[in-house]
Amino acid sequence: MWEFIARSLEASTIFTFAALGELINQRSGVLNVGIEGVMLFGATLGFIAAQSTGSYLVGFLVGIAIGGLLGLFHGFFSITLGADQVVVGMGIWILGFGLTTYIGNPYTGPLGMERIPTVLGVSPFFYVGIALVIVTWFVLSKTSLGLRIRSVGENPSVAEVSGIDVAKTRYLCVITGGMLMGFAGAIYSLDYNPVWNYNFLMGWGFIALALVFFSMWNPLILLGGSLLFGTLWQLSLNPQLLLPGVLSRYIWRTVPFAITIGVLMIISTKWFRLRWGATTPEALATPYVKE
Amino acid sequence: MSHSILGKSQEEKQVQKGLLDGIKRGETVLEARGITKRFPGVVANDHIDFEIRAGEIHAILGENGAGKTTLMNILFGLYQPDEGEVIVGGKEVKFRSPLDAIDLGIGMVHQNRKLVSAHTVIENIVLGHPRAGKILNLKRTGGEINELCERYGFKIDLRAKVWQLSEGEKQVVEILKALYRGAKVLILDEPTSALAPPETKKLLASIEAMATDELAIVPFITHKLPIVLAISDRVTVLRRGKVTARSETACVTEKSLAKEMVGREVIFRLERANVETGKPILQVENLSALSDKGFLALEGVSFSVREGEIFGIAGVSGNGQHELAEVLAGLRKAQGGKVILGGKDITHSSCLERWQMGLGYIPSERVEVGSIGDFSLVENIAMNFYFDANFSQRGIVDYGNIRKLTEEIVSEYNVAAPSPDTKAKNLSGGNLQKLILARVLSRRPRLLIANLPTQGLDVGATEFVRNKLMEAKKEKAGILLISEDLDEVLSVSDWVAPIYEGKFTGIIPGEEAKRESVGAMMAGSRPPLFLPPVGGGEGGQET
Amino acid sequence: MRIGSHELRLEKRLTLTGWEAAIISILAIIFGLALFSIIFILDGVNPLFAYQEIFSYAFANPYGLPLTMSRFIFLLLCTSAFIIPFRAGLWNIGMTGQLYVGALGAFAVLFALGGKASRSADLSPGILIPLMLIGAALGGAGLAAIAGFLKGRFNINEIVVTMLLNFIAFWLVSFMIKEGGPFMNPGGRGESFELPFSVRAPLIMGIPFTIFLALGIALVLYFLFAKTQIGYQIRAYGHSPAAARYAGISTFRIPLLVFIMGGAVAGLAGYHYFAAVPGVYKIARNYGFFGDLAFYGIICGLIALGNPLAAIPVALLFGGLSIGGRFVQGKLNMGFGLDYALLGVLMITLVAFQFFYRYKIVWVKTGEDRLDVGVYR
Repeated sequence: MWEFIARSLEASTIFTFAALGELINQRSGVLNVGIEGVMLFGATLGFIAAQSTGSYLVGFLVGIAIGGLLGLFHGFFSITLGADQVVVGMGIWILGFGLTTYIGNPYTGPLGMERIPTVLGVSPFFYVGIALVIVTWFVLSKTSLGLRIRSVGENPSVAEVSGIDVAKTRYLCVITGGMLMGFAGAIYSLDYNPVWNYNFLMGWGFIALALVFFSMWNPLILLGGSLLFGTLWQLSLNPQLLLPGVLSRYIWRTVPFAITIGVLMIISTKWFRLRWGATTPEALATPYVKE
Repeated sequence: MSHSILGKSQEEKQVQKGLLDGIKRGETVLEARGITKRFPGVVANDHIDFEIRAGEIHAILGENGAGKTTLMNILFGLYQPDEGEVIVGGKEVKFRSPLDAIDLGIGMVHQNRKLVSAHTVIENIVLGHPRAGKILNLKRTGGEINELCERYGFKIDLRAKVWQLSEGEKQVVEILKALYRGAKVLILDEPTSALAPPETKKLLASIEAMATDELAIVPFITHKLPIVLAISDRVTVLRRGKVTARSETACVTEKSLAKEMVGREVIFRLERANVETGKPILQVENLSALSDKGFLALEGVSFSVREGEIFGIAGVSGNGQHELAEVLAGLRKAQGGKVILGGKDITHSSCLERWQMGLGYIPSERVEVGSIGDFSLVENIAMNFYFDANFSQRGIVDYGNIRKLTEEIVSEYNVAAPSPDTKAKNLSGGNLQKLILARVLSRRPRLLIANLPTQGLDVGATEFVRNKLMEAKKEKAGILLISEDLDEVLSVSDWVAPIYEGKFTGIIPGEEAKRESVGAMMAGSRPPLFLPPVGGGEGGQET
Repeated sequence: MRIGSHELRLEKRLTLTGWEAAIISILAIIFGLALFSIIFILDGVNPLFAYQEIFSYAFANPYGLPLTMSRFIFLLLCTSAFIIPFRAGLWNIGMTGQLYVGALGAFAVLFALGGKASRSADLSPGILIPLMLIGAALGGAGLAAIAGFLKGRFNINEIVVTMLLNFIAFWLVSFMIKEGGPFMNPGGRGESFELPFSVRAPLIMGIPFTIFLALGIALVLYFLFAKTQIGYQIRAYGHSPAAARYAGISTFRIPLLVFIMGGAVAGLAGYHYFAAVPGVYKIARNYGFFGDLAFYGIICGLIALGNPLAAIPVALLFGGLSIGGRFVQGKLNMGFGLDYALLGVLMITLVAFQFFYRYKIVWVKTGEDRLDVGVYR
């Protein structure tokens, strides 16, 4: 039972990192739908780096770095060139999906290194994740920088005339967000499930995207959401814990996805919106063009 | 363009910053010399000179397109002039961005509010402030802002979210924002255009208080002539990018100012065409509707409009008139009540059905709702005709016929565009509005709802639109006019209904409507002994 | 950038003609292929040789050409499935799931009519094949309708929903064909039962009849968007849902409609691949590969700028690249996933070239005021 909880927490960690990265993106007004691609790159390149050098540190650094680089790439097209952000995100995803299949193929198989030691039975990254959530929440709601980021995401022209460099702020956010997404991927391939396989992320990047909407752009709710999804996922892998032998394991695999859709439905109803009132950053996915 | 990556050297910054320190009343604080700015196809500012002194209120007057906004944007650092200099406190300066202007003490309050609606008042004021510090100390900031409020007579709840505020309150927030950044010069862009008369009075009082406080000077940019006369010390008039007049306010009259602005004698009142009215084409009974935020925006409104009649609704934006227009047009659900068009209950009819029954709607948002920017003119005209039996058969649209109609419209309404295939987004505001007007009127609607039809248009286009409304009236259409321009409503309407907080504060026959009292009703005061009848029959007493 | 009295400038486009768009798209493809040659070089292969092999196998080889044509049909259907919602401003990235459910739909028909029993079952193709097509279309449409409904009614982001549905559909197929699922092959190899001989799709010169289906759909779609009321409504909604509402267009029905249509076409792609391609005729255990292939439909759709007719040559090209790529991967002993990598590089090149649809590089005399830029007064 404890094993189940521990694994749930570890799964949730990855959701937390990836979704937090996208939350920071979206708070500044940039939409990145290619989270899955960034995670794939982080996971694959991190895996390769770690295995080749025998060092976890190198693996993680590579994963974070590639994530930041992809964030920069996304930022360049979305912010500076003002392209359609959904197209750019899709591009990153398909690029990631395509290239990592090819690049990672020779490395198919287990990582072959000693597992990262756990703290209190759970991977250390879980605690890092919680700390990051708290830091993000604090920065966004209590500091000037946070106010600036939020303003840029709501109404960039207002921010501009208030003396804020919209482009710089957005770049900061996409790079940081990208680093978190790459980090999430690296955690997946180096700690959570250290085996490389073609298309091993199973859509977690898209669940993370759904999570951001679900969290209504609040980091604390996001943490709750990823805990929920981590548990759901673990449950889908071990349905015998709840309802032994009821359905084929394949049907259980669909459960996390189906519940995600259900949750999205609930938070989109008028009733819910009026009660909890949180709204999308107004300028989300709108390129800002200086007059 | 934004800052250079390296930024100014520390020294330069310090020299620049203190330019307006120690300025005394009467000294020139801001000067423009030979400012020229060109855009493709037009010279927006043509060698403009003027200057502003400490403690004075200097109004800048001009119609839309005269170059006011461009000039103000240059003074505020948003644009760079092609020629000429801006001089602050005696020294020539070059603004690379609004940040430079703000640093020097020039603050601007924009016409389309530059505020973040989702944030609180205090968050908006503090945004980007250099002294804000890493961690927001909202208590201390709040105290400082409250001091400013006391000084100039502003009343505002710092914790309220901006979207909850009225237009007047939003403007106060912007003013406070500029003052909190240490503005010594305050540029106000159309400060009274969105205010009801009582709010305007309050604002003017605050402005005078600021001017008395030596350093705060306030150039106006307005085309509300009476206000200019009431409050400013000096006036500068712009026309077509040039300065056409400069003088002390004491020496001018409304007429002379108008002449300078437009270049010819201006007629202030339109001939109200006398048309025999027919039976009621629109009957509204106890209509209610919610706003987008879920509040009751329209509360049990009842009235009717006859054929050949113009029913004018006057009100400051945000009092429910927009929701009323949308409910009537079929774009918003009614919360309660009935809408009857030509005897038929259309309360639950779809938008399309209403079009087919003879309702025509000219939306206030001409770019977002009234047209599709990426569509050609032909495809835009198709918006109201693709379902029409004359232009489509069995599901197939006859674009050839629609194109013919478009060509007729373009020539009759004088829409300036190279071809019917031009994309709508390339049309100017006035031409786009003409296109939309033409499209709606070509259907010969029995009821026409015009929501802010002349907003943002220059005098020429405005005149055109009003004439077309008159023509429609002569053809026995019933017209519901919603406008924020009180003079417009007063000059063309047969019935005037001021609206306040979702209710009509009165329904007055056109000839009896007086500016003062209607203005007061727009802001909520109700005349005693008044019974707003359904059908606008008897008219009432005014205070 | 100046040279003498002229300079190179970046300008926003006011119009984009079909020819200009086509040229940019072609340049994008060429650039992408050139960029991809880096992968060949890194593996010690001469890229020109590699491309030559790819194209000659795909289009000139008696074994390769039919494969290319089958792939082409598949891609064209997927592209059309993407284009329909795309013109409404919506992203259908659920073609994968829709084609899975479409395949299940087709096989369900067979299953219901006794096709599972034996491979030599004598069933009338004249009745069964149309029924299978209908089953496939309904399956795909049904899955997609969920996304369309959620978008129309609740405005839920369709990218997230269609992607989640992909995974749900993926596992659904596994359930049906593996570990004792209803469609499982009695031989128990983790794949579905095989199509009876009698119901195999008729071939014309070695190519399944579905080619007419695919081309026909592309033509119908072109006509739909250019001439019909529905097409106008979809396009209007795609450009501005608010204005479309004002024009009397239902912002609930349009998303639902385009997803149903797109899903139906994707379902047909599922029928095509698993029931019409020679040598397959079942839902294979590596069905996921074909699902992933459907993403090429996104790229084709973007390159074709949503034009159903332009999609035809693009899908043909990509079909060839995909088949040729797989061949070259084997022949030159390169790693698995070469065609995936190609997919990725082409996509990102296309993304980069999006920029040129909105801006152009002009060579003008310095200081000259360009009069065709700006707003007409």
